[in-house]
Amino acid sequence: MKEMKMDMEAPLDFELEDHLLSPPAPPKKRGKVIGLDDLLKDFFKEKKKRNERESKRARARARKCYNSDEDVDTAHLSELVNQCEQKIQEIGNEDEVPLWGLHVFGKQKTPTLPLGSLELRSCKLLQSLLNSELNLVLGLNAEKGEAEGLLINGWLSKLVFICGHVEECLALWTFNLMLYSSKEELRASGCDFWCAILPSRDEVEQPSLKIDWFPSSANLKQALETYGYLLDSSFDISSLPEVVHAAADSDCQGPPQNIRCLIKFLTACCGVRGTWSIFSSSEAKEFLGVIISLFLDRQLQGLSSLLFECMMAIISYFEDQEWNISCVEVAKSLASRLPKNLNCLRVVECISGVDNRAKQLRSEVAFQILINCLDGKFTEAEEILVWLMSINMKDKTCDYFNVYIYLALTENWLFSNPLLGEKPIILELWGAFLRNCSCQITNRELSSYASKVRNKASYILQSTIH
Amino acid sequence: MEKSGRINSIIEENTLAILDASGLTDARDYDDDRLTFLEAVRASSIVAENTTAPSSKMFGAVFQILRDARSLELAVASYQLLCELDKRFPRVCISHGDKSESLQTTPLEFYVKEAWSPFVFGLESSYSGREVTDKNLGEPMDSSQFLVLIQGITQLGHGMGFQLSDSKPLGNMLLFQYLVSVLEGDFLPRNTVYKETKNWVLLRESLLNMLLGSRRISYKNLIRDCLSIISKGFYSHGKYSAHELEHAEKSPARIVKEQDTSLAFALVELEKGTCIALQKFLVLVMELDLSKKQADMHGLTSRADGVRTPLVEIILDELTYDKDLLLQFLLVFSDPKWKLEIILLYFRKYITKPSTRTRRSNNSSDDDTFHGILRCFSNGTSTKSIIKKISVDVGQLLLAHGFQAYLSLQLCVQQNAASGGDIVAVSLVQICKDMISAFRNLQTTDGGMEIIPIGKEALFTAATIVTLKSQQLERESSEDKSKASILEVAVGSLGTGIAVGIGAGVTITGSTGLGLEAERAEMTCQMVVFAAIVAFDGRHQPYG
Repeated sequence: MKEMKMDMEAPLDFELEDHLLSPPAPPKKRGKVIGLDDLLKDFFKEKKKRNERESKRARARARKCYNSDEDVDTAHLSELVNQCEQKIQEIGNEDEVPLWGLHVFGKQKTPTLPLGSLELRSCKLLQSLLNSELNLVLGLNAEKGEAEGLLINGWLSKLVFICGHVEECLALWTFNLMLYSSKEELRASGCDFWCAILPSRDEVEQPSLKIDWFPSSANLKQALETYGYLLDSSFDISSLPEVVHAAADSDCQGPPQNIRCLIKFLTACCGVRGTWSIFSSSEAKEFLGVIISLFLDRQLQGLSSLLFECMMAIISYFEDQEWNISCVEVAKSLASRLPKNLNCLRVVECISGVDNRAKQLRSEVAFQILINCLDGKFTEAEEILVWLMSINMKDKTCDYFNVYIYLALTENWLFSNPLLGEKPIILELWGAFLRNCSCQITNRELSSYASKVRNKASYILQSTIH
Repeated sequence: MEKSGRINSIIEENTLAILDASGLTDARDYDDDRLTFLEAVRASSIVAENTTAPSSKMFGAVFQILRDARSLELAVASYQLLCELDKRFPRVCISHGDKSESLQTTPLEFYVKEAWSPFVFGLESSYSGREVTDKNLGEPMDSSQFLVLIQGITQLGHGMGFQLSDSKPLGNMLLFQYLVSVLEGDFLPRNTVYKETKNWVLLRESLLNMLLGSRRISYKNLIRDCLSIISKGFYSHGKYSAHELEHAEKSPARIVKEQDTSLAFALVELEKGTCIALQKFLVLVMELDLSKKQADMHGLTSRADGVRTPLVEIILDELTYDKDLLLQFLLVFSDPKWKLEIILLYFRKYITKPSTRTRRSNNSSDDDTFHGILRCFSNGTSTKSIIKKISVDVGQLLLAHGFQAYLSLQLCVQQNAASGGDIVAVSLVQICKDMISAFRNLQTTDGGMEIIPIGKEALFTAATIVTLKSQQLERESSEDKSKASILEVAVGSLGTGIAVGIGAGVTITGSTGLGLEAERAEMTCQMVVFAAIVAFDGRHQPYG
């Protein structure tokens, strides 16, 4: 091809990329690897239609001949038809695997903290002016309303920066507004205030502000509890309500909007480890688990970007020597609390491996979930792969949904894993498992997960092993 | 290279095959395939050890998923993937060489990568006359589609055509945010290099310039739409939706569907993001205007560049005739540099100062600063003449917001440049005092004036700063005083010490030297006291 066009008109290298110049390959070429599925589905649809038609006819006949001698026969026949229909229905329904999603939040509780405005009276910054001559004109007082205005329009943070000091009452007040106020303006401003004062540093990397009070991780956990967070380590996951999509339960209310502020605040806290150490590394581990679990709540889908940033901030919060062990611990605790369904895959996928630590965490979480899915029977890489290889795909009772989960988890666990280079046997076993998945499943398997397993395995085979 | 190209094409073909929808009847399978596709692109281009940029077709497919926004999940996932890909494979790069030492000697190297872009402007003629339909999807956007997108968001802001169950509007907001981030990523490096090298071509070829220069859209309409989103749009709507959501949360009788709550949750966040993106867009345009003006002056532009009204002027025109817009715009627009600039321009339109013209010779640049504006409010007559043209309320509003922006800028300066903090502080106090007196003048000029809330807040802030700074000064001076008094005592006792100590044969020369040095160079009081004690001891010793 190329030699033929070796003249002046031959496209330059970069032009090959241009689809205007080189027409895209005919679409039929990139059909799915297994096209038989589609044929089968069509065939099946036809059959279903035919069956329906027959059953209609049968019913019509039954009505027509209701009083005739063939009564018994017809009844029998229509029963058969009904059974047939039922089976079709069953096969159709079999694919209905529930979507991912957990109600991570239950009922909200009433916050125990008073929404502090009373403490503000003791605030020196706000009081310094009250007795002055100007105030006779302004008529200001350090009451809530005025202070709120100062906060919302950003004056407060400016004042604080100028005097270089955040008093305890101000810190408390803004913190409580951020986590518990029902007014968007106030909670957002409280959050902005903290996100502004936390990272402030002077030229020698020292904090340029004196902050009298810092929230502890207990404060944040308390807030989560107030929001109705259910997934803490003591909670039994199996009692969590699965998401039922047809009829959402009105009892299962989500968290308040303040959760957004909490996530942002956590992100800001983790970004300033050098200046302020607000959490210990074990607390950070806990929060990492919490943030990852929030990805599982469908209500919070729109907050993915926030959650993602927060996750990355916490991941980079750890010291190098802490990270390896912390990563495994977080993965283990997550794995032990997850139900064995599509949520497992969602958790892995939401840890987008943009840097090395995130990659490591992604791989580790996939590995630990896989161990957990196999009920902890195997803990060694080789054992697991040997067991996976031994799954008989041709078996009628084979649960393709589970195989799909194993396959996806293993893929994420081994993807660009140094283990593959260190132990060639792992790569071999993995390849064997993939070939089993892509070749052994017969086309007669109608479950959609059978074809998903097949497609995924062939994709991985083709794209990773050249 | 040949081989890697072949492998890439294999990857591309395989990955795109995931999207093949033939034979799919179930909507969920269709969506699942899209998610799988996004995951596959992420795996090969971000997670993998040796990542390769996705091909144009793959990029286009991801972009298409964002534009379709079939579900919130898909929209969010594709948006995030696109952002991460842009970060990993930037289209425009600057290499600084060795930035650390000398900026002048190592010129910035600038290169553009041939890569997929969500915009297409050059080939507009081939797209002309086509309507925005589903047929031409999968292709980059042109300027008119960008305008349509913004108009859609405008309508959304007005509460029209919005349903909580529809993920498409939310997808549009994400799409807009992504497009602005692309424009930004393309423009900022070019502008940086332009400032160094004065190479106008770089900016002429920027996506932003091409977008604005496109003849297929009316630039002014585009800006008007943007302004209407910023000012009318989300603030009311955001409150409304948040309110409704809370209302729904409170009434247990009403069943809130899962999908609805997830969209409502996303809504507030996305509206904020969109608002920020819009501001970013406006700021980018204003920066471009600034650079273009400079290029015009240097004769770098040609007739082909066309003439475009600077954005600041359009904004000013819009703000002048719509007080509500002014109010909302000032509330929402938060970039301090440009906010202050707009406010100053607004004032300058109305201030003609015969009285200050005489002083101009001294500090001609003073007019251009916030301080200069405050000075116009320093006496009754000039204040009166300004108020005649712009109402008292607008005057207050502009002063308060101007002060806010000024403070933000001051803090930025303070944090960036450590040295010269003293000078900043002095003029800051002056500004605060002028601010207070400006409001006093306003009040005396217009007896019935009520100070608007933000005006009160500004005054409160100004007064607090004055108090804080004077306290600081007092503290410092009282420290000085106490030092001085201690010194006196010390010196006095030294004197007696000397007088008495001579007989005792104590070597006093050392301690006297200490005392003098402390006096001159603010040595700590302790040393002086120490010296005094030494002296006293010296005095006591012979008696003991």
